[in-house]
This record gives sequence, C-alpha cells and structure tokens, in this order.
Amino acid sequence: MSDNELHIMSAFDRDLEALQAHFLKLSGLAERALTDAAKALEALDSPAAERVIADDAALDELEEFIQMEAASLIARRAPTASDLRRVLAVMRGAHSLERVGDYAKNVAKRTRVLPQSAPVDGHAGTIRRMSALVTRMLDEATRALVQKDAQLAEAVRKRDLDIDQMYNTLFRSLFTYMMESPANIGPAMHLHFIAKNIERAGDHATTIAEQALYLATGRMPTDPRPKAGIETEG
Amino acid sequence: MNDMTRTGLETETATAKISARGVQVHYGQNHALKNVSVEILDRAVTAFIGPSGCGKSTFLRCLNRMNDTVASARVSGQILLEGEDIYDPRVDPVQLRARVGMVFQKPNPFPKSIYDNVAYGPKIHGLTRNKAELDAIVEASLRKAALWGEVKDRLDAPGTGLSGGQQQRLCIARAIATGPEVLLMDEPCSALDPIATAQVEELIDELRASFSVVIVTHSMQQAARVSQKTAFFHLGHLVEYGDTGDIFTNPKDPRTEAYITGRIG
Amino acid sequence: MTDLSAAPGFTARPKSSILTASAEMKRRNAAEARFKAYGMIAVAIALATLAIMLFTILRDGVSAFHQARLTFPMELSAEVLDPKGNRNREEMSKVTTVGYQKVLSKALLAELDRQGIAQEGVSDKEIGELISKDAAGELRARVLADPALLGTTITANVLATGRIDGFLKGRVTLETAERDSNISPDQLRLAEKLRDAGLLRSSWNWDFFTNADASDQRPEAAGLGVALLGSAYMMLLVLVMCVPVGVAASIYLEEFAPKNRWTDAIEVNISNLAAVPSIVFGILGLAIFINFAGLPQSSSLVGALVISLMTLPTIIIATRASIRAVPPSIRDAALGVGASKMQTVFHHVLPLAMPGILTGTILGLASALGETAPLLLIGMVAFVDNYPSAPPEGFLDPATALPVQVYSWASRADPAFIERSNGAIIVLLVFLVIMNVGAILLRRRFERRW
Repeated sequence: MSDNELHIMSAFDRDLEALQAHFLKLSGLAERALTDAAKALEALDSPAAERVIADDAALDELEEFIQMEAASLIARRAPTASDLRRVLAVMRGAHSLERVGDYAKNVAKRTRVLPQSAPVDGHAGTIRRMSALVTRMLDEATRALVQKDAQLAEAVRKRDLDIDQMYNTLFRSLFTYMMESPANIGPAMHLHFIAKNIERAGDHATTIAEQALYLATGRMPTDPRPKAGIETEG
Repeated sequence: MNDMTRTGLETETATAKISARGVQVHYGQNHALKNVSVEILDRAVTAFIGPSGCGKSTFLRCLNRMNDTVASARVSGQILLEGEDIYDPRVDPVQLRARVGMVFQKPNPFPKSIYDNVAYGPKIHGLTRNKAELDAIVEASLRKAALWGEVKDRLDAPGTGLSGGQQQRLCIARAIATGPEVLLMDEPCSALDPIATAQVEELIDELRASFSVVIVTHSMQQAARVSQKTAFFHLGHLVEYGDTGDIFTNPKDPRTEAYITGRIG
Repeated sequence: MTDLSAAPGFTARPKSSILTASAEMKRRNAAEARFKAYGMIAVAIALATLAIMLFTILRDGVSAFHQARLTFPMELSAEVLDPKGNRNREEMSKVTTVGYQKVLSKALLAELDRQGIAQEGVSDKEIGELISKDAAGELRARVLADPALLGTTITANVLATGRIDGFLKGRVTLETAERDSNISPDQLRLAEKLRDAGLLRSSWNWDFFTNADASDQRPEAAGLGVALLGSAYMMLLVLVMCVPVGVAASIYLEEFAPKNRWTDAIEVNISNLAAVPSIVFGILGLAIFINFAGLPQSSSLVGALVISLMTLPTIIIATRASIRAVPPSIRDAALGVGASKMQTVFHHVLPLAMPGILTGTILGLASALGETAPLLLIGMVAFVDNYPSAPPEGFLDPATALPVQVYSWASRADPAFIERSNGAIIVLLVFLVIMNVGAILLRRRFERRW
C-alpha cells in the first residue's frame, strides 16, 4: 500500500510514529497488568495485587495522553484515508486497552480478599492460562493494528471463541462448587467475576483486532463475531 | 458503524446531468486528458481534485466548451448534457454557456455596477422583456447568491468595490442569472480568506438544491466539506470517482490514497 | 556555530556586532551611493539640456508675439483713391497698392508736421519706408470692402517695417543699421522720436496666428494662419483615417486572428513599419499619391495620407498593448455568461482598453503633428499665402503645416523670420504639451472611475 511511503511533510510521519509508539507502550502496560494480576491470584500474593492496583494509574494516564495526542494530530494534520483510519483505530484501541487495565485492577482487588475465604482449588491455574491467552491475543491484536496486518487480526478475532469456551467451562465448574457448599459461594463468586473480567478483556482484544481490520480494509468486519455464549449452552 | 464512511446518501437517488464518455483532450502535442468517463449528477456537488496539471481544470472547461477559446485544444469523445452531445457541430457554444454557467478562480466582476453585472447575462440572452422583469431576475439571483441583503441598497455601486468574498458571490449571482442548469466553479475560493471561503462554501451547499454544481479545488478539505461526489484526476486520467465520504476515508486506488494523505506518489 | 561552519556549503562567518558596518558592507554601500550619483547626474544633464533648449527658444521666440505698429490719423482722399468719383469698385481697384502707399506716407508726414517732429535729414521717401509694405495692401482691401470710408479721416494702425520692429525689440541697433541697406541710423533715430511721441508702439500680435506667410521683404506680416489651418486639417484627416482602421486592425489581430505564421509576419511588419524613417514615407507619398494617384501637391489630404501611414503602426501598437492589458479574467467572465466573441470585445474589452487607446492615439497624433520630413517631399514647404478653402474642397488646396513653417522660416535670411520661426516652435510646443496633458488626464480620469 502507498502508506508505506512517507508523507511529504515528515513531521506528520513523526507524529504518527509517536502515537503508535505510545499505543504499543500502553498495550505493554495492559498486558503486564493482566499477567501480574493472574500471577498474584495464583500465588494469592496480596502485595503483588496491590502493585497491580497502584500501576493502573500510570496506564490511565498514558491512555489519556494518547487520546489528547490523537485529537491534536487530527486538529493539526487533518488526516484522511488510511491516516485517518489509523488515528481512529489507535484511539479506539487505546480505549480498549484502558478497559483491559481496569479489568486487571478489578482482578487484583478481588485477589486481595480471596485469601480470607475458603480456598477454591484448581481454578486459579485455569484463570492464569486464560489470562495468558488473552495477553497473547492483546499482543497480536496490537501488532496487527500497528502493522496493518489483516490476517493476523482475523486470527485473533477467531481466537476469542477459545476464551469464551474456557470461560464457560470455568463457569460450570464454579457453579458446581457453589452447589456443593454455601461456604464456597463467596470465593466462587469472586473467581467467577475474575473469569468474567478476563473474558471481557478478551472481547477488547477482539475489538482491537477489528480496528486493525478496519484500518487495513477500510470496512468494519460485517460477519458476526464468533461467540460461544453461556445462554446457548446453559 | 458502516455509515461512518458515508455521507450524502441522498445523492444515490439523483440522476445524471452530464455524462462524459471517453473524453480525450490534446493541447498540441500534449495529451492533457486521457479517456475520461464520468456521470455528473443533478442536484449534487461534484468535486474534481488532483495535483496541478492533472487535467481537472481542462475537463471542467470542456463541460461548457471554454476550451474552444484555446486554439490548440482538440477534444474528442462524447460529453452529453441531458443526452445531447455538447460537441455536436450544431451546438453553439454561446448558447451552451447560458445553460452551463461558470465561476472562475479569481473573482472577476465586470467593472460596472452590481446591477449591471447580474443583468448582463439576461440582457444578452434576451431573457426579459422589460425593466421590471430584469429587476426581478437581478434580485432573485442576488438572493440565491446570498448577497441581496448586503448590496440591496447600493446596486449602482461598482461591483469591483465589494470585498473579495462578496465579489465571488456576485460572480455566482451573475452566473445564476442566465438560469443555468449546471454551475462550473474553477477553484472559486482560492483567492478568498477563510471566512469568505466558508460563506461561499455555504452558498455552494445551498445551490445544490437547484443546480448541478461541479467544483475544481486544490483544497481537499474543501472538496470533503462541500461535495457529495469526488473525482480524483492524476496525469490526465480519472483515477477514482465515488462518494466523497468513501474517497476520503477509504479510497480504492493507491494513487488516490497517496494524494489525499499527502504522500509522495 | 562550529557544527554549522563544518557543514559543506557553509563558510564560517565571524561573529560581529550589527552596530558597526563591515568592510564588505561599506564597499557595497559605496557602490550603491555611486550608482545613485550616476543616475542623478544623468537626470541633471537631461533636465539641463531641456532647460537650455526651452530657454533659447523662449528667449528668441517670445518677441514674435509682439509687433511694432504705427498709429496716426489719416485722411482717405477721394480724389486720389477714386479718381472717377463714382465709388465703383471696378474703377477703384485700378488704383494699385502704390497709390495707397503714397496716401499712407503722406498721412504720416502730415502727422510728423503736426506734432512738430523734425525730419533731420531723413527724406520723405525714407519716412514712407518706415511703414510696412504690407500696410498698403491691407488698407486697399479695407477701402475696397467699404468705399464709404473715402473722404473720411480714419486712425491708421499699420505695421511698422520689420527693421523698426527689430529696433524696438533690440535686434536692430544703430551700429547694424550702418551696414544695412534697408535702414539707416537716421531712420532709427526718427523711429525713437515717433515712439516717444506715442506714434510707434509694440502691441500683442494676433496677426501672427491669423496671417498667411509673407514674402522676404515683409517679415513683419508673416503669420502662422495657413500652417495652423493646414495642421488642423491634417490632424482631422489623420484622426478620421487612422483611428477606425487602427482600432479595427488591432481588435482583429488581438482577439480574432488565429496565431499562425501569417499573423506573426503581419505583427513583425507592423513593428517594422513604425521604425521606418519618415523620409521614406515622404518618398512613398510622392510616388504613390502625387505621381501615381494624381492628387494635388502641397494639399493637406496628401499630407494626411502620408502622416497616417506613419501614425497607423503607432496607434495599432498602442491599441494592441492596451487590449492585451485587459485582464483575461474579464473575457472569461463574459464568455462564461454566454456572451459571443464580439459582445465580449465590444461590451467589455474595448471600454476597458479605451483610455489606453485614446492615450496612444493622442500621442500618435502629437508625434504626427511634429512630423516634417515627409511633408517637405510632398511639397508642403511651398510658399502658401492663401488660406485653403473650407473642407472638403479645402483638403485639396495647397496648405502648409506648423513644423514645415518652422523649417521654411528658419531657412530664410532675415533675422525677423528666425524670431518668427522660434515663435512658431513655441506654438507647436504648446500644442504638443496640451495634447500630452490631455492624454494623461484622460488616462487618469478613466482609470480612477472604477
């Protein structure tokens, strides 16, 4: 595509580069928050959870910075066509990443209260695997967006199905726990919300992938997003 | 979410006013326009964009045969105005220009009064029988050009004494006065300040209700603001033609993309 | 700074205060000052030349506008002037100017007697010679026109002879009179007394503008009348012939003609025509209009035809320039609203070009007014002492023109003609200045209108 070529005005290129660099950095922060939160959950490590909560402020700040930069770039450079789509995709993607950070923070908050309750074994590992998968999706979706890689974005989008299935399995398992003993209800509920948060983070990874597709093709994907809802299986 | 890439869906129902088929223009040895085919819609603004020397002004001037005044210009192909070929030997270009009006880059009012500027076209075409009818045409044209309120008390003042933006609107009023169906505008705002530009753009948007407007512009933002259809010319070719929203968010041709995003292409 | 100076293409500029001029700057300023000085010197030389020229012409020419006249009472004796006594004009015209001259001399002598001015060795004949030879003819014409004057006493107001006029203006002195066969110092002394007695005085010379040319013997009677009328006829004819043709040709060449080899050739030839020496046009006029077409020599029509040939290129060039100066946007505007080519030209281009066309025409006419050489060749330098009749027949009558009159006077022997020649130059210059100022005013007026 012609947008591999440089703009006549090189400052435009520098602005776009800077915006994407910040976007990549934001993506890194979000991925790390999610990984750290999942690790803290598995180890029931409260101080680590506290660190995740504290680090979210930086993530929010960076997201706001990106939105401001993007607005300024629109105002000053009046981007069109692929440039316009790139800025829009980055803005929407940054918003998604900020939400992912919030979910990680919520996971960490729930991790803090989990040790006081009765342990519900075996699920933390599943949740960590799930979060690892989401983290990879985020990484790939971000890369697809920056590199304008439609194939990679499409692959990420397909992978959302796996997350949904993992979540559904976990949901049924936790449901069984809660039926066994009312004492399990509290921790199981927390674990369920944690799983739900990570599932939603996966949805945001898909959103970013869709933005990458919009950037690459100029159209939002029109086919319905692959979905495995608990309603249909329930 | 899809509608984000589209504006001016109302153009879809409009009919073609001018159909160009395989238009070629040569200036001596220079092949200025290569096989251009395009349908220009009625009651819509069509913008021609492209780098200097791409043929967009040449094509515009073909539409009312202003190229006839250039001795070395040769035009081939067909340009149909409502199905009639304007390059048919039976067509008198003078008569054609009453139906296809033109507004130029530099505001060029005649060095006469505001009234005489607007009345000139109707007078030479014999559109009126008496002074009252002429007065009515002048007022209607000035009203349509959103200038009546500013000049109604000084119709005898020279047209050249108006500000640049007013002059350009006067030129538009002059073009409207002969009752054209198509208005051609060759970079009508390039000599105006931003406020005057905005006023003229607003006027162009209003004119869309009554005319088929074709505008050549160097400002892509202007094309994006005022037009429903955009045509991109490059090196004498019509590279891409489509809805303005599509052209500016998702052009199909890499050359269009390179041009509108400001890349070397 | 070191980085910059290290880069190729940049030489290190030593840091210095902008308050002190560098040597380089001083050198440049000096060069500029020198250049200004050269320009001013050139302008001063041009102005000085002009001033000297104007001064010389005015010094030598202004006196032509005054003329010495003798005023004395005179009895028109019926016995002498109408010997048959029947007041019949036929009979009366048998009395020649010589007869009238005698009457004039006698009247002047009688007045001298009455005033008690001694003749002091000046003979009666010499006293008669103080009166211009032109006066007798003038008096005769007056009496023949009105025979009722016979027998009455009128106040004669007649031209003094050229030498006396020169004496009053300081051109003729007692010393020059010694060597002059036409006048003696005694006559001059007598003239002095006449002046003191109020009989002789210098007054405004309307005759200079109305009289025809006069022979060598009576420069005091020579005037510009025929030359002015001849020039006026010629300018009128040139205007009528040149402007329509010139403007039409310009419009066609500028607006309608295709640009090809033919129009290029025409363009080059028009420019060349403007550069052809005027004497060539004179020869052309002589060959074609007089020898071939058989038009009368010295007539203002032939003069106008020749001058038209010379003025036409000037007018065409000026008109084309002013048509070309009309912004193309105006043509576009007119064509854009559906005006035809001709409507565009006549409604818009021509009115806008009009000030330029008028200016060009006036300047062309002004140069035509001063044209001499071709008129010499077609015989307009001939001695013409009769007014041409009224147009249109008058266009074929012999006439002369202002610059030619200057030329012919300047080549005569009597210094009185030199004075008149300079006077004619002043008249010519005044006309040229009026025309040029008119051109400037026209241009100003039209340009300010919009």
